[in-house]
Amino acid sequence: MQEELMDILCCPVDKHELELEVDDREDDEILTGRLVCTECGEAYPIEDGIPNLLPPDMRDEAPA
Amino acid sequence: MPAGDGDSVDDHRSQARVREVYDDIADHFAQTREYPWPEVEEFLDDIDGTRGLDVGCGNGRHLEAMADCVDHVIGVDVSRQLLGTATERMAERGWSGALLQSDAAALPIQSGTIDAAVYVATLHHLPTTEQRRASLTDLARVLTEEGRALVSAWSTAHDRFDASADAEEGFDTTVDWTLPSGETVPRYYHIYAPAEFEDDLAASALTVESVRVSSGNCYAEVSG
Repeated sequence: MQEELMDILCCPVDKHELELEVDDREDDEILTGRLVCTECGEAYPIEDGIPNLLPPDMRDEAPA
Repeated sequence: MPAGDGDSVDDHRSQARVREVYDDIADHFAQTREYPWPEVEEFLDDIDGTRGLDVGCGNGRHLEAMADCVDHVIGVDVSRQLLGTATERMAERGWSGALLQSDAAALPIQSGTIDAAVYVATLHHLPTTEQRRASLTDLARVLTEEGRALVSAWSTAHDRFDASADAEEGFDTTVDWTLPSGETVPRYYHIYAPAEFEDDLAASALTVESVRVSSGNCYAEVSG
């Protein structure tokens, strides 16, 4: 995902802002990391450049 | 996983199961979804703006069409494997968009940021009236003041269903997807009666501009 996407993303559950934590990036593209809700603290993983923003109860326990 | 004879619609009525099904059939499904629907192209004819959103974007065929109308496109889908096919389509055809794995009823997008949205052939996969209405209200939330969206769902008017288009309510069923191997995978659908489609829109925060039935689907043009 591109960092500028942060302008419009929010927590799917409480709609509060997210904070980006980057583990791996290639130029402008964030490949691995997480989006952490500034309100509820839930961490949403970014894998292969795609954030998994499913609510926690719909997310896989372990990555496929 | 092949469906046994004992399978009932109840075994498939959940977002987790719908997600699993589309993860399983993603590659074949995406191959058969080459062209945008004419109803979507018609809607996009009048669209411009900064950001476009496709809820239930699948392989991205409608995102690709939308990328000609707005500056940035964002696709969300519950199935990671389908998002993978959208990534491939972008690379093959030279367009770009943002992809998010997300539930249609819990959009991870800030309020008032989307100028145009399509939510086609996805609403009918949500398992309950409450969730379907919640997804429509969440769509209203993300639209800008001038924002517009096209919503569609399979309807009882479709000729594959032996149901009356005049019924007050639709019904739950499974519709098989047949893989090249011959294996069939049942997908959960709530088939909408047109009157019920209008009821759900009216119960949501969306404002309905127009509604119609076309090619066996209910369509509505809406604003936030």
